[in-house]
Amino acid sequence: MTAQDIPAASGSDAAIPAPGPDSAREVLTIKGLTKQFPGTLALDDVSFGVRQGEIHALLGENGAGKSTLIKCICGAYSATGGDVLIEGKPVQITSPADAGAAGIAVVHQHMNLVPTMSVAENLHLGEKLPRRAGLLNWSEVHRRARQVLDRVGVDIPTTALISELRPEQHAMISIARAVSAEARIIILDEPTNALLPHEVERLFDQMRVLTRKGHSFLYVSHRLSEVFQIADRATVLRDGRLSGTFDRSNMTHAGIVGAIVGRDGALAERRVRSHSTDGTLMRVQDLSGRRADGISFDLAAGEIVGIAGLPGSGADETMNLLFGRRRSTRGGIEIDGKPVRLRDPGDAIAAGIAYVPRNRLAEAVFHADSVRANVTLPSLAKYLREPILRLVHRGREDEAAREVTERMRVRMPGIEASIDDLSGGNQQKVVLGRWLSTGANIFLLNSPTAAVDVGAKKEIYDLIDELAREGKGIVFASTELEEYALVCDRVFVFAAGRVAGELRGEDVTEPNIMTLAAGGALAA
Amino acid sequence: MTATTSDNSADPQPRPSFDWITFLSRWGTLISLGLLIILFSIGRPEVFMTLRNMLNILNQVSILGMIAFGLTICLVVGLFDLSIGAMATFGGYFAARFLMELNVENGFAVVIVILVVLALAALIGMINGALIAYLGISAIVETLAMSFVATGIILGISGGRTVYATEIPEAFTIIGQGKIAGIPNPVLILLLLGFVLWVFLEHTQTGRNMYALGGNREASRLSGISFSRYALIAMAISGACAALGGLVAGANLGAGRPQGVGDVYLLNAFVAVFIGASTMKPGKFHILGTAVGVLLIGVINNGLSVMGVQTFWQYIVQGGILILALISASLNSVRRS
Ligand SMILES: Nc1ncnc2c1ncn2[C@@H]1O[C@H](COP(=O)(O)OP(=O)(O)OP(=O)(O)O)[C@@H](O)[C@H]1O
Ligand SMILES: [Mg+2]
Repeated sequence: MTAQDIPAASGSDAAIPAPGPDSAREVLTIKGLTKQFPGTLALDDVSFGVRQGEIHALLGENGAGKSTLIKCICGAYSATGGDVLIEGKPVQITSPADAGAAGIAVVHQHMNLVPTMSVAENLHLGEKLPRRAGLLNWSEVHRRARQVLDRVGVDIPTTALISELRPEQHAMISIARAVSAEARIIILDEPTNALLPHEVERLFDQMRVLTRKGHSFLYVSHRLSEVFQIADRATVLRDGRLSGTFDRSNMTHAGIVGAIVGRDGALAERRVRSHSTDGTLMRVQDLSGRRADGISFDLAAGEIVGIAGLPGSGADETMNLLFGRRRSTRGGIEIDGKPVRLRDPGDAIAAGIAYVPRNRLAEAVFHADSVRANVTLPSLAKYLREPILRLVHRGREDEAAREVTERMRVRMPGIEASIDDLSGGNQQKVVLGRWLSTGANIFLLNSPTAAVDVGAKKEIYDLIDELAREGKGIVFASTELEEYALVCDRVFVFAAGRVAGELRGEDVTEPNIMTLAAGGALAA
Repeated sequence: MTATTSDNSADPQPRPSFDWITFLSRWGTLISLGLLIILFSIGRPEVFMTLRNMLNILNQVSILGMIAFGLTICLVVGLFDLSIGAMATFGGYFAARFLMELNVENGFAVVIVILVVLALAALIGMINGALIAYLGISAIVETLAMSFVATGIILGISGGRTVYATEIPEAFTIIGQGKIAGIPNPVLILLLLGFVLWVFLEHTQTGRNMYALGGNREASRLSGISFSRYALIAMAISGACAALGGLVAGANLGAGRPQGVGDVYLLNAFVAVFIGASTMKPGKFHILGTAVGVLLIGVINNGLSVMGVQTFWQYIVQGGILILALISASLNSVRRS
């Protein structure tokens, strides 16, 4: 069967049969899908179906095969075995164009926008651009782009370059593109990782509107609260095999988590922490930068301080200032009572600070390199044979890499595997783990659990806890507000470049954070 | 830490299956090198597959090899160096010119002069690196500009006049023409340089940091690796290696030519390094790969001329092999994307 045999593109609502009582009709059926990578069986005989007008969650641990499954559906990978059926008819999809023609739109886990092009151009990628008198009609290009963005309520100028935008804006643009294609099957691979709560809400609203029109969603996420909020059904993969498909009626937290981790999994819960917080590790005084003003706080040994706020609120900027990614304009930092100057990240590392950036692929992963090299890079100086030629002692380096990957429970074929072949969550563990052996005392963690599965999330929380108990100081930020309550002793909420309020203990709740972040005041 | 996910040991055992694409993308270039050698050996067994001819091939590619090794270093960091052609000419000409002007005779003084020339080339490389790193200029444009400047300076100082063999001490020409234990000196220099740079890239922290920078510059910065420092080092090495190549070429030729020495090597060096990046470790620039690339070029040129094939074929075959190498390297990434 060739691309021509695929049912015609569904550019308009007319092509989609109206949702009827017959909503058990499957638009997308996966039959016995198998994908073998060298050394890894990523998918093993997986079968399930996505019904018309439903939001179908696809769940599973890091490396369970979710992204691989999606890539097999949209033709980015060719499956080793099995079939993909659309409306009950087998289709052969070997390229994104085929997928588009079959009515499938995909937002991949890893951004697929062209950084050097404008928002409008990106929204038209792969499409015929409107013309006038044989030349490109730019005003029409921008007008259409505007329409697409307005649908999902994104107010980004269509002339902006992708490279100038923030990650959450990238995500919204990718989503807008998929949604605007009016594909009848829209696949979203962890679309909410970089989104803030109100953006997630807007996305969900849009998804619900589309399901009422008969579109279907296959939706990957590690955020179970979102899944319960929006999904009609859920399919769970485990080690590349189908672990179960759940209907709304039998979707329980325990059931789903059990299916994901393979036994009754304990969910992360709020901890009562009782560590000593004496001895100031770091004192921040009147620290100011371009987007943050007059930040002052003390970080005690064993303390976990949260930094929360909307983009541009100064929360991110504070993280950057603390690591020397940006130079401060005023104020300073003392570590162990000694003032330190942070001109660049090198200074911060020398002062014993570790940093996990939010954007793993762009800021943390050394592509095309081995897991080993990715783990040991910032601590290589510890494994040198001698200080002059700086020859690296491979035996000791390997040992360190093995130790860290074991402690972090990284799933991989071995420490020499390419980092790019690891699933997103396992890459994140590597990125976090690399700082364990640097001897850092202060950990700046910006969304350390982004794209990490439930089980691993808990492991990372435990790890943070363990670090705190060892007497390290931790500054934590996340796009998932619920995490602050799980992780932090106290939280500074930022608004308009300043600390709008400090929350402690029981007061660290999502609503409180949201209120302060939005510039409101808390009821006494 | 309590475990909630399964242990690594619980993972399904990898089921090995032979993967042609990975195999070809790794070993394709080496296989074609082997096939070519077999082909030429069958074609002209009495000429091609002799020790003499093998050493001859190595000797023919030694200068290209030195330049390509240096280029590998700056490509590892992610920088193109288009000034290597001019720097080779620079090395060859100024070594000869200084030796002539200073009227140096003894071997020790020759070594000093050579070191000074190499240091000058490294300095120019560092200027390249500084302009690229601190001003944020694109390496391609900057090094192209620098190669014009260097060419201009050489032409200006030389007045277009070649320094001839009679004006150069024998202690210098022996570098390019002599042998030790039957092995031509340029080959020995090449092997030594290759070994040193291999150790440097693969086994020192500096080299590893360079790979990190090439892999992800922002992530490197966040790991405390300063791009500017390594850009300077990489460009200095590249400049010095190119000058060394030119210098050995000059010694071999017994003349210091002010133009046209390095240009021949510029494109071939890039070809060799890119063939190398599709060998054994696809997508990664490395010294062993570059060595294979250099050998491939040497074997094609030598083999075809031994077989009496016309020169234009050498270009066609070389271009074809490069395309094949790039295809085999990209097979992997095509599948991955
Ligand atoms: N290109 C590849 N080559 C080899 N192995 C791969 C490749 N891509 C993925 N894998 C392996 O296949 C398995 C499934 O990976 P996949 O990316 O589908 O996981 P995932 O469920 O999306 O995880 P995550 O939630 O972390 O994104 C993993 O073990 C991964 O290491
Ligand atoms: Mg994934």
